[in-house]
Amino acid sequence: MELSEEDVLHILKLIDESKFDYFQLEVGDLKISVSKGEPIPLTSAPSSVSPAPAARPAAPVEPPKPAAAAPVMQKEAPKVEAKAAAEGLVPVKAPLLGTFYMAPEPGAPPFVQVGSAVTEDTTVGLIEVMKVFNSVRAAVKGTVVEVVAQNGQFVEYGQTLYLVKP
Amino acid sequence: MSVTRVLVANRGEIAVRIIKACRSLGIETVTAVSEADRGSLAAKLADRSICIGPPRSTDSYLKVESLVAAAVGTGCDALHPGYGFLAERADLARACADHNITFVGPTAENIKKMGDKLEARRIATAAGVPTVPGSDHAKNPHEAGALAEEIGYPVLLKASAGGGGRGIKLIWNGSEIETTFRTAAAEARAAFGDDTLYMERYVGNARHIEIQVLGDLHGNVVHLGERDCSLQRRHQKIIEEAPAYALSPAVRAKIGEAAATLARSIGYRNAGTIEFIYDNDTEEFFFLEMNTRIQVEHPITEMITGIDIVAQQLLIAGGQALPFKQADIAFSGHAIECRINAESPQHGFRPCPGLITHWEAPEGNGVRLDTHCFPGYVVPPYYDSLLGKLIVHGADRHQAAARTENALAAFRVEGIDTGIPFLHTVITDPEYLRGNVNTRWLEKKLEQYAAAINA
Repeated sequence: MELSEEDVLHILKLIDESKFDYFQLEVGDLKISVSKGEPIPLTSAPSSVSPAPAARPAAPVEPPKPAAAAPVMQKEAPKVEAKAAAEGLVPVKAPLLGTFYMAPEPGAPPFVQVGSAVTEDTTVGLIEVMKVFNSVRAAVKGTVVEVVAQNGQFVEYGQTLYLVKP
Repeated sequence: MSVTRVLVANRGEIAVRIIKACRSLGIETVTAVSEADRGSLAAKLADRSICIGPPRSTDSYLKVESLVAAAVGTGCDALHPGYGFLAERADLARACADHNITFVGPTAENIKKMGDKLEARRIATAAGVPTVPGSDHAKNPHEAGALAEEIGYPVLLKASAGGGGRGIKLIWNGSEIETTFRTAAAEARAAFGDDTLYMERYVGNARHIEIQVLGDLHGNVVHLGERDCSLQRRHQKIIEEAPAYALSPAVRAKIGEAAATLARSIGYRNAGTIEFIYDNDTEEFFFLEMNTRIQVEHPITEMITGIDIVAQQLLIAGGQALPFKQADIAFSGHAIECRINAESPQHGFRPCPGLITHWEAPEGNGVRLDTHCFPGYVVPPYYDSLLGKLIVHGADRHQAAARTENALAAFRVEGIDTGIPFLHTVITDPEYLRGNVNTRWLEKKLEQYAAAINA
């Protein structure tokens, strides 16, 4: 299939008028990606590979969780870390892998939010692994300026949960 | 229970091997990595990687709960443990079952039974498989002396809690029994907190022969022939071969059947290896132990049978029946595997982690390399030193050895030291080429090698 310049312009016009922010078309070798917002991140996976799997809904034995998207840590991390470094912020990182909770129990107010003052020993969240809840300490004194991780999200070891201004 | 997404709970070359097998079957992969392995080849090849902890393996690859949580959290329906780390831990198999994750390996029960040395010995005896003549328990020097007379000198006195070659004493005659028994018991108490000793006949001129088995969930068990792993350094295999060229056809048939019978007797599932000690002088073989996992040296069996063992592991775990019967399994040619380690032969084989500045792998007919290394890769200091396995197939042992020699000569690694120069001297040794070796041969060769370097 061949696309003329006119076809492409037509596609762009249709996208522009639509509600969609992002559009991708693949026909054989031909591939068009259009985005109204930020540049489309290039996938790091080789093109022959199926797209990175999204998380399945958690096993039925788990308590219901917000439908958090699969964390694609490798691609987001540099952005958060770059921001932290540029603005002199300190990331609070997950001390282990598991499910991250921002509050001591469902419905309770979160341990911290944007603007909260924290010290090294302040508990800022819980990470659950195999039904065992481990508290996460801030390990830095300052003010929370950004909540990076989402409640109920599966986080990996070393993933940034909060940014704190010391 | 079909397997659609696998958590690779391992690292290094076996993680890469598992990912490739999954891909050949259209199965997605998530590889678990420690912080030190974020940039590993497995992490690059897998559909996704997930960091499970800091570099130290006790905080990452050895944490059952982190691996199971990683599998559940990334939506995997199966977990492959590879070899080493948690591969033979029944609690991992059990934790997977508790979370509806298919463990790509044997049942927790299989692992538990075969993990206990004395229990495994009893199971073998019950299945009619010969074990090394000896006793379950030698309680005191007097009893040990009587047992030794019965078995015939020389004998080995072994610590029940020992393993991997530790806690073993060789006794040549009755005059040594008293002193050696007391020393062995004291050492076992100090090293393992358990002074239970047992005795075995010492086979001086021995080969290490092992049989690959596969069992499915429907009760079918086949063996894929033998491997000769006699060339060992400090109980670590260095060069392995398939088939076991020193065995007569009659012994080959008997040892394969013994292994399959033993596996069948415990309802063994998935891939496993049954190790035997073979007496070169008497042509007897004795059960040593069973490894309830995929083994490092599995590719040589793949080369002579054409069967992808890791793919079979995944299919078996998914509930499929074995696609072949014992009579369908044919053997072709000879295969040799050399383990390429990051070590320095000229400095007593000390481990040699660091940056690989140049990596030029050999190619050619019958040459296969299973590795996770690439130019620019930094070999981390936290894990074992295996860089890869050079696996070479030929029409016969002579051709396989000649091709191995060429491949080793063409293998260029710079930045770190490797065992390649030593492997080359072994593979070109006239005694080795005549097949005139036993389990002590390589140690002797090492002494000569060290002497030549220091000369």
